[in-house]
This record gives sequence, C-alpha cells and structure tokens, in this order.
Amino acid sequence: MARSTRQASRHPGRGEGGRRGLFGRTQDNSSTIFLILRRMRAPLIVLIMIFAVSVLGLSLIPGRDAAGQPARMGIFDAFYFMSYTATTIGYGEIPQPFTGAQRLWVTGTIYFTVVGWAYAIGSLLTLLQDRAFRQALALQRFTRKVVRLSEPFLLIVGYGQTGQLLGRSLDALGRRFVVLDTSSGHVDSLDVDQYHADVPGLAADARDPHTLGLAGLEHPRCEGVLALTDDDEANLVVSMTAALIRPDLPVIARTTSPTIAHRMRAFGSPTVVNPFDRFGDHLRLALHAPASYQLMSWLVSGPGAALPERGQAPATGRWVMCGHGRFGQELTADLRAEGLEVTIIDLDPGAGAETDAGADTGADADTGAGADTGADANAGIIVGDASDPAVIARADLEQAVGLVAGTDNDTTNLSLIAAARKINPSLFIAARQNRPASAPLFAAVDVDWLLVPTEVMAREIYAQLSTPLLWRFLRDMLNQDDDWAAHLVDRLRRQCGSHLSRVWKVTLTGREAPALGPWLRGGDARIGDLLRSPQDRERQLDAVPLLLSRHSGESILTPGDDITVAPEDQILFAGRPAAQRHLIDTMTNDAVSEYVLRGRWVPSGWLWQRLTRRIPHSGQP
Amino acid sequence: MSLEKVIFGFFVLLAATLNFGFFIGDLSDPSLHNVYELFAAVVVSLIATVLKFGDRTQIGAVHLATSLVADLQLIAAALMWAYATQISSAGLDGQAMASVVSLSGGALLANLVSVVLLVIETVSFHRR
Repeated sequence: MARSTRQASRHPGRGEGGRRGLFGRTQDNSSTIFLILRRMRAPLIVLIMIFAVSVLGLSLIPGRDAAGQPARMGIFDAFYFMSYTATTIGYGEIPQPFTGAQRLWVTGTIYFTVVGWAYAIGSLLTLLQDRAFRQALALQRFTRKVVRLSEPFLLIVGYGQTGQLLGRSLDALGRRFVVLDTSSGHVDSLDVDQYHADVPGLAADARDPHTLGLAGLEHPRCEGVLALTDDDEANLVVSMTAALIRPDLPVIARTTSPTIAHRMRAFGSPTVVNPFDRFGDHLRLALHAPASYQLMSWLVSGPGAALPERGQAPATGRWVMCGHGRFGQELTADLRAEGLEVTIIDLDPGAGAETDAGADTGADADTGAGADTGADANAGIIVGDASDPAVIARADLEQAVGLVAGTDNDTTNLSLIAAARKINPSLFIAARQNRPASAPLFAAVDVDWLLVPTEVMAREIYAQLSTPLLWRFLRDMLNQDDDWAAHLVDRLRRQCGSHLSRVWKVTLTGREAPALGPWLRGGDARIGDLLRSPQDRERQLDAVPLLLSRHSGESILTPGDDITVAPEDQILFAGRPAAQRHLIDTMTNDAVSEYVLRGRWVPSGWLWQRLTRRIPHSGQP
Repeated sequence: MSLEKVIFGFFVLLAATLNFGFFIGDLSDPSLHNVYELFAAVVVSLIATVLKFGDRTQIGAVHLATSLVADLQLIAAALMWAYATQISSAGLDGQAMASVVSLSGGALLANLVSVVLLVIETVSFHRR
C-alpha cells in the first residue's frame, strides 16, 4: 500500500490525465487590474456627486424666462450648463441671463465642479498610467498573442546580441518565435526591428516556470526552446524547466562553463553551445584545413553571405595567449592539442578556472616581481600584466608566430594588439570582441582572426535549426581532407557565384515530387539527369548537390552525376534561387519532367496530350 | 460591522427604491411621475455602479452587470424625457411619458435582481 502511494506521488505529472500544468495562477495577472478599478471608485463618485448637486441646485433656483416672469431652468438645461462650465469651456448663460440667485449658486458650483473635474480626471489618468497596471495589461496582451499562435514557433529566452542576430536569420527563413528577456529595453526594440512576422515579447524573468508557461512552453505548436541569456545559471534553469515540463522539445542552451554544461546535460538531452569551445574547434580546423574552414563558415553564414577569404594561419610554432579565463583555457587546450606551443600571460592564471576573471585590466603595476613563474612546471606561464612592456618582453614575441588577445575587456585587447604589432608586424593575431560597439575599432586594427562570441553562437544555432541536413553535412565534411573542400569551394563559386544564395533540401516523396514517381521507381534515376535545365537539357542547373541522404540512413557527400536516387531519399542542394525554382518545376510538372528526364516534348494540357497521344510517362499509373 | 458593506447596501437599496418610486403610478400620466425622482434615480444608480467596480467574485460580477443594465435603461429614460421636452413638437404627452416610465420599469427589474443578490449574499454569510 505504501509503495503504491509512493509511486503515485512520484509521478503525478505524467500521463494525459494527471499532467499538472503551469497555468494554475492566471488569476494573479488580473489582480492588478481589479486593484486599479477599485481605486477608480473614489474619483468617479466624487465626480458624480458634484455634478448631481450642482445640476439639482441650478434647476431648482428660480430664474427668469423671456417675458421676465420667474421660471425654473429645467434639468436638461441645467445639466447642459454644468457640463460646459465644469470642463471650463464656458459658452454663456442660457436660456436667459441669470438672476442674482442663480449667479450666486453658479459661482459656488464653478469652484466645486472645476476642481472636482480636474481631480477626478487627473486621478483616473494617473491610475491608467500606473506602472503595475500597464505591466498587467502588457502581460495579458502577450499571453493572448501567444495563445493565438497557430504556426510552429520557437521560444527564445534572452534577446541580447545573440538573440537579435538569430531572430533576424530565423525571420528570413520564415520561422516564428516568441521572445523573453529581463531587460524591457531589449523587448521594446522588437517594435523597432523590422520583422516580417509579428513577434510577441515579454520583459520578465524567465527563471520563473510560470513565465515560461505564459510564453508558450506548454503550447502545442512550440517546437523548441533556446536559452541564450548571458547568465549561465538562468540558461541552466530554463533548460531544466523545459526538459522537465516538455521532455519532447529540443532545447539549445548557451553556456561558457563546462560544469554548467555538465549540469545541463543531466536533464534530458539539450544541445549545449559553448562559444569558446566552438571557436577553439574552428581555429583547429582553420589551422590544419583552411579550405574546410572556409567552406564551413560560408555555409553557416546564412543566405546572401559572401565567400570568406581563405586564411593562412600558422600551423607550427609558438603562440602567446593573453588572458587565461575560460576562453583562454579552452583555446590553450585546443592549440596544444594541435601540437603548438603556447605561452600564457595572465595576472592570475589559476583563478580563471571557474570565473571569467582573466582580464588583466592594467590597473596595478604588478610586473610579476617575485612571482616569476616563467620557468615553472606548467611550461610557458608568465604571471603579470600583459600591457606592461617588461612582461611582453619576457614573452619574446619576435620568436612567436601567433598571438591571441583573449581577455574580456575590449580596450585591453586592442592595446595588446597594437603593442604586439609594433614588436612583430608579421604576427598572426586572433582577438576576442566582447561588445558590438567595438566592431569598427577591431576592423580598423585589422586582426587576422576575430572571435565575436555572439555571432559564433548565432551561426551555430542557425545551422542547427535551419536545415538538419546541413548540420549533418557540416559534421561529415570534417572527415574529408582539405583538397576535397578546396575543390568543392571552387565548384560552388563557379556555379553559384561568390554569394551563397540558397541552401535547401529536397525530399523525393510522392508529395514533394509527384512528377518523378515512375522515374524513381524505374531504378535508373541518376542525379545528373535530375539537374538538367528545363530550358535546354544539355545544360546543367546552377545547383550543387551537397549531401544525399538515403532512406536507409546511408549518406553520400557531394554525390556525382551517376549516383542513382530512390524514393524517400533526401538531397541537400546549394545554388541559385533560379535553380531551385527550375528544380521544383522538374519535380512537380509532368511535361517539364518528361522533357528533362527523357528528352520528349509533350503538350502541357490534358486535352492536347490525349489528342496528340503524347502522354508523359509520369502521368501513367 | 463593516462600513463598506453598510455603504454598499445603502446605495443598492436607495437606487432600487428611488427607481420604484418613480415607476409606480399610471404609465402615461405625466403628473404622477416627478422628473426630479428620475434624476435622483440616475445619480444614485451611477454611484451604485461605481461602488461595484473591482469585485473579483462571481456574485460581484453579476452585481456589476445588473447595475450596468439599470444605468443603461435609466439614461435612456432621461434621454427620452429630454427629447420629449426639448426637441419634440408634441411635448411631454402620454405617449412620451409612457416610454420614459417603461424604460425606468426595465431598470427597476435590474435593480430588483441586484437587491435579491444582496439579500442572498447576506443570508448565506456564515460568520466563522
């Protein structure tokens, strides 16, 4: 008995019937509104009383009619007069000039009503502008907008630089999303940013599961949660909440700390993106396979990106790492794994383990006196302030091949770069840019390699979300050698131009490619035939097949023209938009596919096809 | 004893009684219906409506609804009266008076519902 109840109490939230939602407390939202309504009572009652007394009095006090006889003003005229007196409009005495008694009363009511009107209207307006009231209204509006979403949407928590970059790319793809951020300035910028679709946004703390629920975590059309704030703890809480409440949803979280990444992975299976880790991986790729790196960064830059230059990073020699926080440690480990020697300069290399305190912000004059651990067990650590020339001299930059300015302060990094260039102009310099405001400065200083953590994150997440096949291609591509990548880059540039227009996926099912059915089932369906141009089948379309993913799970990188395809296969193409349209034509239009695949001209219309008896093969059952 | 409840009950009953006072009498005889009572009924009904703002209970919501209905009908009656006396060429004849009084009769019904709700609320209140 005890065991069964314990079981029952351990899983109360599972299953359709017993799921406990987050929406238990929606009534709290409207409590502010009710409070405001209650506070409106006093001014309104004052207004009504003042008006009532004045009108009553004015209608009872004897006036004078047109003939000079005493007569009373009716209620209607009295009300009309009080209306324009209280609102200080003041037309005049109607219907006849007032008697003395009337004027006496009106004098009193003027002071009463004008002041009362001002008080009542002022209080009402202040109440309507009450911050809590407006926040409650905004929350209600936001909740209604989210509930009414009928397209699949992503929940983005954190709308800083990464969130904004990602938002723009997602919007270009036509994906909808909902934004949560603690800063109301960021959420307000949603109104100004030019998005194609409406983006609901709320300024609230996302660590509260109730807020996540309001933002659509439990909405059936929510298709993913992105935790992109700059606070790792908050990302952890969001990732945990999403994994517990909606275990089926994909979660992508940002963190720069390996321990937090480990804790995130304890709940469900989130994709954890560590920008420093990624940069290290990219740097390693760039060091031993520059063409692969060029191809990869081109493909993840989004539609319309220009082909980046192929860098020539030095692959042997000694590098100098300035700043040994989290970023420095990751990068040092990566460089050492590549077989490079690394000299570290930091004020306090040991303390950078859990915090990002690797900034040597030049405040003190500690030149490492007495703490000269240059020749210690951990080869190549210099403790000191990197902007101090004596410390730099110890690092011996003339013999080094590369320098990494990796502190979390942009000014420090820029100073390091300038000082290093003076000592050794041919040094390969990699730098870390922390704030977007410093971008023009870094561009002017002309570093060989610039890490902007927010951009790395945004591109990585974009690659994952936009096309899953692209993600697989990028992973498989790393197993190929550099020459293969160089060939592919050349081919892409020749056929598609130096601006990447489109990367899209084609699934060869009956729904997406109805005109190809019999051809696919025939068993001799070559990709080269599929890529013939509908305008002249001797020419090829400007599209390059990057990846062929068969239904059986096998995948082929850059399939040649002779590879056959079967039903249910998926192909990832890169090419011009015109090529995409022609390909769609080939796949859906019977007459076009007949010409492209078999070289036979058939009429497009059903009637002519029957009359001339030239029926396309795909039209036959 | 709650002062707020005293004031609330006072105004609800006052609205109902003033309304009733205006209503009774021959429907189309203008001399039997005092326009100042209509005026008082409108004012007190508006005050009663404002007092019902901001109540989150179900009964509070229905109270507010009945008050709004009564306001609507009384203001319509006042407009009808103003039209008959100021604008219409026939003046306040039997037909116009009947319209005014019947509209106030509608408001009376709404006020009665409000009074019944008040009584129910009071009777079912258990002091713990």
